[in-house]
Amino acid sequence: MSHPYQNTGDFDTIPMHQFNPAFQSASLERQSALPPDGTHYEFATYGYPETRAHLEPPGPELHRGGFRSLHRTQTTDNRYGDNRETKDDIAMENLLKRLPSRQLESAANNAAKTLHRRHSRNKSRHGAIYHSTLRDGDLEDMIGSSSLLDADEEERVEEAIRSTPATMATRRSMIQKLSSRKRKSPGFMKRMNYSIGMGWKHFKDNMAELKYTMQLWHSHLKKIEGHFGTNVLSYFVFLKWLLLINIPTLLLTLGFIVAPQIIYRWLQQDTLGYISSEKFSGMELLTGAGWFEPTELYYGYYTNKTIQVIGSKSYKMQVAYLFTCGGYYLLTIIILGQSILSSYRKYYIEAGGFQSMQIVFKVLCSWDHGLTSAEAVKLKHKSVYLEFKEYLAGANKDKMRKTMIDRCKLFWLRVFTNVVVLVLIGASGYLVFYLSGTQLNRNTLFSNQTTSAAGVSTNETKNPWLLLVLPLCIGLIHRIMPIMFDFIEGYEQYEIPKSELYMHLSRSMVLRVTTLSVLVIYWYTEVSQSPDVPCWETFMGQELYRLVIVDFIFTLFSTLISELIRRLLVGRVKRVTHPTFALARNTLELIYSQALCWLGTFFAPLLSLIVIIKLIIIFYIKMISVLQNCKPSERPWRATWSHTIFLGYLFLFYLLTTVAVACGIIFIKPSIGCGPYQGKDVMYSVVPELVDSWKEEYAWISTVIYFVSSPGFIAAILVALGMGVYMIRTIMMGRQEAVQRLKQQLVLEGKDKTFLLNLLNQVTERHTCTSVSTTVRPLTQQISPQDDIVSPGGRVFVRSLAESTLGGR
Amino acid sequence: MGASQSAFSEQELDDYQTLTYLTKKEILHVHKRFATLDSGAVGSDKNAKLPFTKVKELPELKVNPFKDQIMKVFSSSGDGMTFEDFLDMMSVFSDDAPKAVKVEYAFRIYDFDGDDMLSSADLKELISRLTGEDNALNEEQMQQLIDNILEEADLDDDDSLSFAEFEHVISKAPDFVSSFRIRL
Repeated sequence: MSHPYQNTGDFDTIPMHQFNPAFQSASLERQSALPPDGTHYEFATYGYPETRAHLEPPGPELHRGGFRSLHRTQTTDNRYGDNRETKDDIAMENLLKRLPSRQLESAANNAAKTLHRRHSRNKSRHGAIYHSTLRDGDLEDMIGSSSLLDADEEERVEEAIRSTPATMATRRSMIQKLSSRKRKSPGFMKRMNYSIGMGWKHFKDNMAELKYTMQLWHSHLKKIEGHFGTNVLSYFVFLKWLLLINIPTLLLTLGFIVAPQIIYRWLQQDTLGYISSEKFSGMELLTGAGWFEPTELYYGYYTNKTIQVIGSKSYKMQVAYLFTCGGYYLLTIIILGQSILSSYRKYYIEAGGFQSMQIVFKVLCSWDHGLTSAEAVKLKHKSVYLEFKEYLAGANKDKMRKTMIDRCKLFWLRVFTNVVVLVLIGASGYLVFYLSGTQLNRNTLFSNQTTSAAGVSTNETKNPWLLLVLPLCIGLIHRIMPIMFDFIEGYEQYEIPKSELYMHLSRSMVLRVTTLSVLVIYWYTEVSQSPDVPCWETFMGQELYRLVIVDFIFTLFSTLISELIRRLLVGRVKRVTHPTFALARNTLELIYSQALCWLGTFFAPLLSLIVIIKLIIIFYIKMISVLQNCKPSERPWRATWSHTIFLGYLFLFYLLTTVAVACGIIFIKPSIGCGPYQGKDVMYSVVPELVDSWKEEYAWISTVIYFVSSPGFIAAILVALGMGVYMIRTIMMGRQEAVQRLKQQLVLEGKDKTFLLNLLNQVTERHTCTSVSTTVRPLTQQISPQDDIVSPGGRVFVRSLAESTLGGR
Repeated sequence: MGASQSAFSEQELDDYQTLTYLTKKEILHVHKRFATLDSGAVGSDKNAKLPFTKVKELPELKVNPFKDQIMKVFSSSGDGMTFEDFLDMMSVFSDDAPKAVKVEYAFRIYDFDGDDMLSSADLKELISRLTGEDNALNEEQMQQLIDNILEEADLDDDDSLSFAEFEHVISKAPDFVSSFRIRL
């Protein structure tokens, strides 16, 4: 196995200049900056950093190693010209190879390489790691003696070639070499394998092609990114993601609940709905009541019968309804959990927490290469500048601690403001409770009329606007309260804007959770017991429908007011500035609307369709508004991090809504006169009935189910899970410690190298005996006694090694 | 497939697909964008070499403070970009390019003096290009920033970032891949 680092020769296939044309001139410049006479001087000062460059751990940069050695040889050649110095150089190189740390590194390297080969079969296209970047020598090595690569192998080689940082011409010649190699006597099995593998590969290519074509809103997203960068883009990507998770769940409900119901209606000629006297007036779109009530939109319309489809095949609606909803929530949690995990891994695990390396990230990753508009670039410069300033201010602030009194004051101030916020949230909760009480009275009046007087023309005393009072109030609360929070946060003196932002988000979140839980508790405790409401599930579905619609309208209006009108006022009114896109607030609204969807799907199966339509409209409106009205924010914003946080909020809402729906299914008595579960004690009782019915036919299934659901079994599982978590945590702590030690080790190794190189300088100096000894860098300064102790080789070792190497000359 | 009437034969497209992280459609799209830079030259020779002044007109590059470095790094001849160089660039900046490849090129782009190390002079240049001319940091702030960077990322205390150190840092930066990207 040829080790590219040691083998400088094989690099000459790649022309030097393509790596960096500036490089040669740079080294020349540096040379000319030196006094022409002092050969030794040069070695002492410049040989030192260069050899150090040479000493970089070669592990992850195999392909760079050759480059570097060549670079070095070249410069040395230019500089000295004579044989003596070159020889010196070679001796030095040999010496370096023999350093103890180097030995370890190359051993580790080989191990890593073998390990990689073993694992790489499972590596996907994205799994390329450094070791797979190839150079000619490696290529030969990789193809080895096998006459024909199987497709898997070939793909791996291709991947390696693809990730090689050379020009396309070089890579092509590598590929050609590869394909010329493999035209030799393949066996039948191998050929079969090969063609199957190639077919699979073509299929994958085609899929990638299809994926590219199918990308939703690709050009819009690009435009937004070009103008606003990744921050604003993350809102739209989040929106798109929400839309996409709603589609499979919609298909699920459509396929297993709505379609059977339609078939049932068609088979039975059921006259339950569609013939109602209600006329479609348009108002229903807002209220969701009236004409919509006896349709598939709501729970109440679904039948409790078994649908006879063909012959004896039957479809139990009761079971289907419950299980589809279960499947809906299960599917959602799988998608959600998966993306939370990957996002979390990306941000917290791979990044090793967000505190470390802050400034490095800011510097190295802050430029959005996708930006296309000059305006955006200007603002990006500004934002980067502000971010740096903020960082520097924060770094300085760490030094001056606040006095005790100040901190005490601040603490009580924050206690006070938090109490105020809690009071405000509590008041909103009570308001919602009060309003829903009056709402019920109005509504029962309304629904009594519709049920009793169906068909008979009433005096139209009902006013559908009354239905909208509650959702409108909730919408107002959700818009006004955050402004008050903002006002309060102005007094709280947060050091970092980011913590203020997250405080604000959390408070808005708690507000929304409060209003929704008040509503749900009210619906479960009051409405479901109330004799005036014929079908509380439908009522709940309608309420949620209205909440969704009103939230939509509010979103439209707030876009209009805060973005369009504000933009129109710019220039006319002095204090109004260009609006920026309120990323956090807008994302929060999306999360809330998704929570409504999750809460309502059980009671109104088609709600996810409405939410999908809503999301599509919001996408276009927000896009137009952003592109027309807004300008990029100067505030820095970490897209990946906030995405994780938003997913976290979403997950929280998911848990709450699932718990709410599950409570409704398990504990609340369903309405007597409507829906699939009429006459049951609770909806959940369908499940034990089903299991009981299996008793005769499939006895073992019911035994298994009884066993699994027994308390003892569940307790055992919980204990096992707890132990697992504990064990993993212990391992994690251990590893963290190990990482910490390795880091320390690395620093020590670095010091080691400096120390050894200095020693080396001393030795070579003694051997070459030139006159310019005064200009030599004062080496002894750098060798601290501490270095002497920690270095693995030790001073004596190196000196003897160096002397034996150089002495042979 | 609509590839038949395009500028490339199926074979060429296959080759490009193997050599880059792009699909055939994307490759054709890249070529279309390349052609917009100088439709005359590209029309007569699809792999024409365009001078940097022409390539600079690509919207993403036009406003990019690192455009000279990017073009230099991806150019195979040093005085212009052929279509293949251009395709290479788009491939590295695409979504599908693995992080390792992106990191490699990012290092070269940020290595202004080409000595294969990010020295404090490189970092200084990098920071001043990031903040732009209008909002330059003063000398002291700049120095503090560079000191902090080196403190965090320079593992072996040699006052500059080697590729290994650079890669180590970037591997922990979640935003790197999303920002080091040009959408097609």
